[in-house]
Amino acid sequence: MNTSPFCDGLSRRSFLRVGAASTLGAQFSLGGLLQAESAVKTATRGDVSFIFVFLRGGLSTIDTFDMKPDAPDTIRGEFKPVRTKVPGIHICDQLPRIGGVMDQFSLIRSFTHQNAGHGHADHYMMTGYHPTAAFNGSLTPNNEHPCMGSVIASKLGARGSIPPYVCLPTLHPSGSSAYLGPNAAPFTIEADPNSPGFQVPDLMPPLSIDAQRLEDRRGLLSKVDRFQCSIEQKANAAARDLGVFSQRAVSLMTSKEAKQAFNLQAEDEKLRDAYGRNTLGQSCLMARRLVESGVRCVTIEHQNWDTHYGQFPTLKDDLLPKLDNAISTLFTDLRQRGMLKKTLVVITGEFGRTPKISKEGGRDHWSRCFTVALGGGGIQGGRVVGQSDKIASDPADSPYGPEDLCATVYSLLGISPHDEMHTPEGRPVMLTNNGRVIKELI
Amino acid sequence: MTYGKFVSRPPVVCRVRFLFPLCLLVATPLGAVDYVRDVLPLMSRFGCNGSACHGKAEGQNGFKISIFGADPAADHEAITRQSRGRRIMLTAPEHSLLLRKAAGEVPHAGGSRMKTGSREYTILRDWVAQGAPFATEGRAEIASLTVEPVERVMTFGQKQPLRVKAVLSDGTEQDVTWLTQFQSNDSAIAEVSERGEVTTGSAVGQAAVMARYLGRIAIFHAIVPRPGEAVAARAETFNELDEHVQAKLRKMNLQASAVADDATFLRRVTLDLIGRLPTVNEARAFLQSTAQDKRARLVDALLDKPEFADFWALKWADLLRVDRLVLDHHAAHDYHSWIRTAVAENRPLDVFARDLLTAQGPLEEQPAGYFFKVAKKPGEMAASLSQVFLGVRINCAECHQHPTDRWTQRDYHGMRAFFEQVSYKKAGGAEALIIQGNPQVKHPRTKEVVQPYALGTTMPESAPDGDRRAALAQWMTAPENPWFARNMANRLWAHFMGRGVVEPVDDFRATNPPSNPALLDALTRRLIEQKFDARALIRLITASLTYQLSATPNTTNENDTQNFSRAVFRRLPAESLLDAVCDVTGVPEKFSGVPANTRAVELWDSQQQHYFLKLFGRPSRTTPCVCERSTGASISQALHLMNSPNLQNKLAHAGGRLTQLVSMSDAQIIEELWLVCFSRFPDETERQQAMEHLSTRQDKRRQSIEDLAWSLLNTVEFVFNH
Repeated sequence: MNTSPFCDGLSRRSFLRVGAASTLGAQFSLGGLLQAESAVKTATRGDVSFIFVFLRGGLSTIDTFDMKPDAPDTIRGEFKPVRTKVPGIHICDQLPRIGGVMDQFSLIRSFTHQNAGHGHADHYMMTGYHPTAAFNGSLTPNNEHPCMGSVIASKLGARGSIPPYVCLPTLHPSGSSAYLGPNAAPFTIEADPNSPGFQVPDLMPPLSIDAQRLEDRRGLLSKVDRFQCSIEQKANAAARDLGVFSQRAVSLMTSKEAKQAFNLQAEDEKLRDAYGRNTLGQSCLMARRLVESGVRCVTIEHQNWDTHYGQFPTLKDDLLPKLDNAISTLFTDLRQRGMLKKTLVVITGEFGRTPKISKEGGRDHWSRCFTVALGGGGIQGGRVVGQSDKIASDPADSPYGPEDLCATVYSLLGISPHDEMHTPEGRPVMLTNNGRVIKELI
Repeated sequence: MTYGKFVSRPPVVCRVRFLFPLCLLVATPLGAVDYVRDVLPLMSRFGCNGSACHGKAEGQNGFKISIFGADPAADHEAITRQSRGRRIMLTAPEHSLLLRKAAGEVPHAGGSRMKTGSREYTILRDWVAQGAPFATEGRAEIASLTVEPVERVMTFGQKQPLRVKAVLSDGTEQDVTWLTQFQSNDSAIAEVSERGEVTTGSAVGQAAVMARYLGRIAIFHAIVPRPGEAVAARAETFNELDEHVQAKLRKMNLQASAVADDATFLRRVTLDLIGRLPTVNEARAFLQSTAQDKRARLVDALLDKPEFADFWALKWADLLRVDRLVLDHHAAHDYHSWIRTAVAENRPLDVFARDLLTAQGPLEEQPAGYFFKVAKKPGEMAASLSQVFLGVRINCAECHQHPTDRWTQRDYHGMRAFFEQVSYKKAGGAEALIIQGNPQVKHPRTKEVVQPYALGTTMPESAPDGDRRAALAQWMTAPENPWFARNMANRLWAHFMGRGVVEPVDDFRATNPPSNPALLDALTRRLIEQKFDARALIRLITASLTYQLSATPNTTNENDTQNFSRAVFRRLPAESLLDAVCDVTGVPEKFSGVPANTRAVELWDSQQQHYFLKLFGRPSRTTPCVCERSTGASISQALHLMNSPNLQNKLAHAGGRLTQLVSMSDAQIIEELWLVCFSRFPDETERQQAMEHLSTRQDKRRQSIEDLAWSLLNTVEFVFNH
């Protein structure tokens, strides 16, 4: 099996392409040059990518990855634990296909933090920083600190013509760059990959503008844009930036990789079916395509996991089958393409759900103990790190929190978790708030 | 992998410092080694109490001390008593964990901070040997700190050692260079070593190097002029402001760019004053006018337009946080209207600030009081208003001494105490801001009662009677206040120049000095003479040669960003850019919840759902920082300008400008488009290229006009104010 040629090969290819584009399009030579420089720089760094599957609302891990069959019936729930591909690890009978790829990923069953409110916990899990008292969760974005994707974008930059950090199908409220600014902000798809006519907004011109007309327009633009490559642009950083980003935008529009990445229609119908014809499934497929094209971090924000009422039918008939198909296919697909070692996948909600089943037949918010699933990108599969207590109320040992998850993700991507970033006021902020790399996973 | 090692934080430690002559060791009288005066400065210099090490809230590996040594007593306790006292060993000082860790004799995540046997080591060892005393009674206090030299004009790659002296209360002087922390505010211009040696880089400009010892600060200014032959001085000035700018340029050996042409001035000043593009008719009239004073007359005319109030209300609404999510529609609208009215009637800035600071009563009648609803807590009110009206940031001092300024926790809570009386009462559905009681504020650490006192003043025995905010407002807006007028003048200057004399504009402190003190003094003096009339100062600024300079650099100033030797490119703010797109296409944008034809600049609600505005960096108004408004670029912005269906719809709209253009001649079309986008006529090459484009596509005339307009909207020239 070919294990690692993908990212290297891609970086070099995209570098060459960028170089070619800038020579051909003389009007963009400055942007091309800067871009080439950053491509060289990034080609030498670690090239693990990161797919963050965020199950917003909070996955009930006591019903899935950390079942308690011996607990009283007010707690244990309707599903049964079954064996997986890895001897000794049992997960829910509603996730048979995920059980079949249990050797590809591991579970942290002692994950814990102290906030069971959606907005706050989202921010905590996405950034590794607990929000302050002034946090306004109703904003989008609401980031007081940059999320992992933005840190990755800021620290590692873009691979060639494709943005380093993509959010889909919409921007996660805590998925932005805070003080790292627009350069580290996600490129957001803002469209459902499962919709029939799916396309990325603004990536292509409106239908009325055909390829010839776009080319005419760009040709005309190069003639009338008198400040392009002028001494004025050279002397003004802001104008230079615009040149760079315009060039990147054009690269993205004209990039075969980008077109390829966003063109889900090109994917084999059977594989699309296997991922599941729903937003989560097609988003996971899109994420794989994006990573394949050079995106460093893809955040999938999938909603409706806040199962307060009648959760068992919802999980059984709707959410878990979707999760089962999407995640198992994602791991299988990555492995078959030789991408798994270079692609870290993390699956989690902002918290888990109460051990006790409520009167309404659901479970409420529970952050004191839940399970995070993660695999690929250097994570050893088939392991269980940490244990919860008898009713998954608290970790029984090795508690890990969002800080540790961030530290682990960063270090797998080749970023030191002890690095600093700076607010516009120049205040240094550590990438992680004393996070520890979870060594048992590696 | 690098995570296991501490790689980023501590500055490079000088490894070669063990051969100090012994005589230097006796900096303090023998036997007088104590924590506060000898050990604490070392802890600070080594970075032990920094935010990345033991100073952060959780400490580091079980050892926690206060950030930047804010709480010496607690730190002394932590070192001498915590961990069962194993950090120091009185009987065998060399075996103290403190020494062994710092000297790297045992594994230390922070690395080796000193050599065994070095001068620093000796201090720590002697301190432990003497019983690790906290302070020495009767030891002279520090009266002042000085650095020598204070300023030096330097060349590229030159070195300058600094000497830092503490003058003690008994009149003696002490060389504390080796105990001082140094930090440069621009390391491209001048770097400083841990030992206080400044080395200039290869960039032209001015850097401030901070020397900090026991909470005192002294500044060295490194001035690096452009090398090479002296440029011929340009005598031309339009007013007093230019004299100060020119003087600085001579010092830096820079030559200012030429004066901008009329078209450039028209577009620039119109965008700066009223936030929109000049119309085609306005452009024609101005360009054709032969009046000698047409630039000044244009400024006068713009100042009187209602759009002036719209645009500047937007600016103030950002700073004063007109936040619909906190307030609600009605309240946010009223609050915004209050601001707009004040701008429209040119309320003097001091009166404006006082009105806001002392607002009370029913909020519907006193909408300025909504500020105190947005800034929910007294501390936030104090910090926000300091930042907005004084340009002084005190937030840091809520929990610890400001790391690069003199503000202490006591200062912060002294400011906070002015706002403790603010509360709300509901009566008959209406809410009123009331001032009540005589609440006490306590220092969070020392528990001392902190009376309300303003920054840099002495704390009085008791709080002022009545509304404490009135006393603060009086102090704040007095002409002799050290910051208010300077801050306002600086903010106005920055609005027009793209950069303040002090930059960032809301960060006045000793360690962030003005790039041109004489200029800032002049602006401040004029603002005070004009009784805080913003429009009068705007007239002065826009009449200066400096404001009217071209953005085209010459060989001397292409890298200059500090000295106002040329105009800088500034991306249009989100709202202005959207309005500009609408004006060019002649198709207004529709916003929800406001009357038709409302322009983006007029929107009072910064949370109005709008992809374009969000994408181009409209602030959410969650802080009073100008930095919230982003003018940075992104891929999504570029994609949107190129491909947005909304923009294409505007170009293709039957009721838009392009429909009117179809019946005109090619030459007319081109002229109209250039005038509306750039406020200038096309030059000959541009005219020919555009003619060629239009003439070869006669069969698709409408389309080719759209394509031409599309190209102009995507130029750097359109997106920027220059």
